[in-house]
Formats: sequence, C-alpha cells, structure tokens
Amino acid sequence: MNGSMDHDAMLDLVAVYALGALGASEHRIVTAHLLTCDTCRAEFDALRPAADAVALMAEEPVDSATSTRMKQRLMAQVNRDLERANVVPLESRRSRSFVTWAAAAAAGIAAVIALTTTASNVSLRSELATRNRDNATQQTQLARDARSQDAERTMIADLVASDGKHFPVTGGEVLERGTRLYISMKSLPALPKGKVYQAWTLAKGAKAVAPSVTFTPARGGVAVIALPESSANLVAVAVSVEPDGGSKVPTTKPTFVRPLS
Amino acid sequence: MERLRARDASAFESLYDGYHRLVFGIALRMLGEPTMAEDLTQAVFMKLWTNPDSFQTGNFGAWLSRVTRNRALDVLRSRASRAEDEIPTDLPDESSLDDVVFTRLDSQRVRAALAALPDDQRMPIELGFFGGITHEEIARKTAIPLGTIKTRIRSGLRRLRSELAGSVTR
Repeated sequence: MNGSMDHDAMLDLVAVYALGALGASEHRIVTAHLLTCDTCRAEFDALRPAADAVALMAEEPVDSATSTRMKQRLMAQVNRDLERANVVPLESRRSRSFVTWAAAAAAGIAAVIALTTTASNVSLRSELATRNRDNATQQTQLARDARSQDAERTMIADLVASDGKHFPVTGGEVLERGTRLYISMKSLPALPKGKVYQAWTLAKGAKAVAPSVTFTPARGGVAVIALPESSANLVAVAVSVEPDGGSKVPTTKPTFVRPLS
Repeated sequence: MERLRARDASAFESLYDGYHRLVFGIALRMLGEPTMAEDLTQAVFMKLWTNPDSFQTGNFGAWLSRVTRNRALDVLRSRASRAEDEIPTDLPDESSLDDVVFTRLDSQRVRAALAALPDDQRMPIELGFFGGITHEEIARKTAIPLGTIKTRIRSGLRRLRSELAGSVTR
C-alpha cells in the first residue's frame, strides 16, 4: 500500500471480502493484508455485521406442508442416528447400568429373532446394511469436511490474533501462535516451471533441517501456509525453491532462513 | 448447544423450529428451486446434528447463515461447472456486532434497511450475497465498471450498517 489511491482500492476490496464475493486469489490477498493493516481490519469489522445481516432478508415463512415434511425427514434421520448409536460395541458403553444392558440385550435379541423369521426380513436387513454403509460413508465425509473447516477456522483466528509472535522476513513473515506455525508471504518471486517452494524446519539440537510442506504462491506472490509441525521443539524455519514434489534436503540457496527468536 | 452436544434430540428440534425458515430461505433464494432448498436445509441441520462442535463462538444465527450460504455456493459451483474463480467463504470470525445485529434484527428490518439503499448499491450487494458470483462477474453481467461495483458495494454496506444501527437502537 504505497499511496492513498492504492489504499482506497484495498478498502473497496475489503468490503467485497466482507460480503463474500471475492474470487479466490483476491481473497487470499485481502486475508494477508488484514493481518498487517489496522485501518482495513477496522473497516472489515465495521462492514462484516452488515454483510451478515443481508442473510436475514431471505428468511421467509415456510408453508406448513413443506415445514412438516422437512422436519419429519430430519427427525427420522436423527432418530436413526440415535438408534445406531444405541447398538455400538459393548466396550464403548461400559458405564451403562446392568438394567440398561439387560434391556438393550433383550431388545437386540428380539430384533434379531424378528428379522430372521421371514424371507422378507432378509431383504430388509440387506437394505438396512446398505443404508448403514451409506450413512457411514456420509459420516466419514462429514467428519472430514468438519476437520478441514476447523483447520481453516483455526488458521484464520491465528492469523488475525493479537497475541501471535511475528518473525519478519523479506516480503512476509513467519507467525507463531501457541505451537502452530504459519508462513505468510506477500511477494514471493514467480516460480520457474516444474518448481515449488518448500518449507524446512530446524529442530532444537538438530544439525540439519527437516523437509516440511511444499507450496505454490497465488497470483502476485501471495502465500499463506500452515506448517504441520509443532513449533514447540523448533528453532528456525526456512523456505527454498525445489523441484515439483519437494526434496529431502535443500537443493538451492534458501529464500529465507528465520530463527524463531 | 450443550444439550445438542449431549445428543438431545428435543434440543435439536427446537433449534430447527427456530432457524429452519432462515436456512430454507437462504437456500431457496440462492438455488431458486424448492426441492434443492429442502435438501440443502436437511444437509445443513444434519451437519449441525452430527458435528455440533463445528459451532464454537459468536452468534449462532450468523454462523448458520454462513454455513448455509457456503453449502449453496458448493451446489451452484457444481451445477455450473464454473471456470471462474471460486468464492472462498472463510472469513475471520470475530465481530462483536454480530450478536447485536442477529439478536435484535429481523427480516422485516433488514428488508426495510436494504430498501432504503439506492438501487445501484442494493443490486450488487444482493447479487454478491445470494447470486453466488464474484464482483468481477457482477461487473460483467451488468456491464458496469469493476471499480464502480466495488465502490458501490462498500458504500452500500456502510449505509446498510448505518440503517441497521439506527434500527436496532430505535
């Protein structure tokens, strides 16, 4: 941000960012900029509630038939989920009382007898198994989505937090919050074809760096990277240009080496 | 939320009763198709049921709105096989005014506040929020210069904030 015109343009972008209508590359640029610019951060804080409130205009009465149908579908799924949770293996339910166990066991035996008495029940069991598999797949996907969203949320909270430790490097910084580490760069040089940037970490007492993640910056050289390593036992972070796929040891002069002190 | 984390179905039902109009409304507004809006509403609430810890702090209504919008954007992207920039939806999640806005406002007040904006400010805000398109696409669709669109969004949000602030203090 060299001049007032540039900064006005960034403030306009911050508004579009608050509305959630920026493309991915500009989104990363604004995210990185908000880390370092109090003026833009204040503008974001001012506009975000207004942008959020726009959602409320969509709230409409739902006709009773639709509302009832949606609720029945949802609660049926919730009840199936609760029933499934009630037949988890014994080891995970040791705290339950004997009476509960006896009731559950009786119900289970009755269910098994009922399910095996007629041919039609065989078909029913097969369908149930299929649905359980489908549900398990969906649960796995949901859990994966949730972990990914949690990681993103943690990163954003760390990047904007006031209690992070900032270690400046040319064109960016290394950020440490708790034991989490980030590399936030605003102007990395463009990479030659077939090359990537690779992060390296140096552990306390180690004689050589260990390979970390590889990454490619967005347009304009912007990159915000969460390192998977805990910072607890690290004394430095470095970045170098490496062949696509990364290297086991650095093969070029590092773009930067930053002691975490 | 504590009851929901303890797998209390009645607590979940209460949350559904309180918020399904908002979730369904956002989904319908963005997808334009009631059946898809129903499916998306189902998916949003099931995500809440299966992973109640995904909501941590802040205003629940604002969070649920963002989750709904994100899911709807996913549907719009897959529907259009878009070549354009995707719209990321992760935003810093700290805003003390969220609570004020979502707790004390209702849809009528927001509609009134938006209606008070000039058309040239309201249009890009509504397109940007519900249309699932970037400001660059808004500029292309409307044949208005990109810089003008950005400035109008900013002016519009500032004015909307002012209108809403007046509304919640009245």
